[in-house]
Amino acid sequence: MKKNDLIIIGAGPTALTAAIYTTREDIDTVLIEKGAIGGLIATTDWVDNYPGFVDGISGLDMADRFQKQAERFGAVIELDEVLGIEPIDELISVTTTSGERFAKAVLIATGSDYKKLGIPGEDTYYARGVHYCATCDGAFYRGKKLVVTGGGNSAVQEALFLTKFATHIDLLVRSTLKASDVLLHELEKNDKITVHLGVTTDEIIGDETRVHKVIGTDATTKKKVEFETDGIFVFIGLKPTAEFLRSTGIEFDSIGFIKTDENLRTKIKGVFAAGDVRSGATMQVASACGEGATAALRIREYLEGHSQQAA
Amino acid sequence: MVKDITIYTTNTCVYCVMVKKWLGSKNISYNEVNLDVNPERAQEPVDLTGQLAVPVTVVTKSDDSKEVIVGYNLAKLAPAVA
Repeated sequence: MKKNDLIIIGAGPTALTAAIYTTREDIDTVLIEKGAIGGLIATTDWVDNYPGFVDGISGLDMADRFQKQAERFGAVIELDEVLGIEPIDELISVTTTSGERFAKAVLIATGSDYKKLGIPGEDTYYARGVHYCATCDGAFYRGKKLVVTGGGNSAVQEALFLTKFATHIDLLVRSTLKASDVLLHELEKNDKITVHLGVTTDEIIGDETRVHKVIGTDATTKKKVEFETDGIFVFIGLKPTAEFLRSTGIEFDSIGFIKTDENLRTKIKGVFAAGDVRSGATMQVASACGEGATAALRIREYLEGHSQQAA
Repeated sequence: MVKDITIYTTNTCVYCVMVKKWLGSKNISYNEVNLDVNPERAQEPVDLTGQLAVPVTVVTKSDDSKEVIVGYNLAKLAPAVA
């Protein structure tokens, strides 16, 4: 029987910070990650608001540093997918695609992922003109026109990144821009990006192989507006990565984020949740790391109690 | 039996890093075509997959048949290199 003190589901900033803390306390810790080590931050072009990096740092580099620091203290990262968890006696059973394993405690730190628009053409042209990762797919748009949809930090940051490749970008913003002032200043200076405020993104049109046009609606005039484009990148917010835990007895909020108490405990004894997947999270890498550290301290307390019970 | 593996990547693509890390963890060697270094080859993965996305992993078997995997998809990658 494979058994660890702690299994962390995920390997993003929350998970890796928690692992740095727990492994330094000699808590036997395994992280199970189905996607990218570093999570969403690893797909981010540039991180400028994390303390200690005076000139900023690429998301990929930051993720690599987090991983190396956690591994330095003995954290083990397994590339696998968790299918479900279940409390059995005083342990938590964790089922993965490779089989079943057990832990005294589990930390859910699965983070979040970009939302889809849910409009006609979005699935049809997925990866053939519709994209959610600028750092992954932007290089295919050298010398081409793009649409970016969204008005938050991610949309503006990634639109700025995509100007390395695209000749022109139409940024469609449903209401108003909500990005930080620093990014808005960069946006103002960039003459490759045209911002369209109050424009929804309604439909993606192509010829079955490639995207040619995005159709939206101007909220003021109520008229349809069209944007000739070679592709569209979508950054309209985040959704929690927690669907695989729906039948476990864990409590969710109305959007699907995991509810915890002030000690980051879920409804299942020994199962904690922290970071972007938790209801009330602020979706910042710095706060994700903070929650990871807090979770590690609470888990340490829980494991101390667990050991006393076992003795 | 796998004859060789080629991965199309870019510098900033984390899922490209993950494919390389996973193959490395299995001690499986591969060739890499970095499209930032070799932009003139950017059409090759598009022709193979019909998609504008990386990573694209091409697994050539000993009988010269090819298996093409888009993205970091262990469910497809693991059996392809087994």
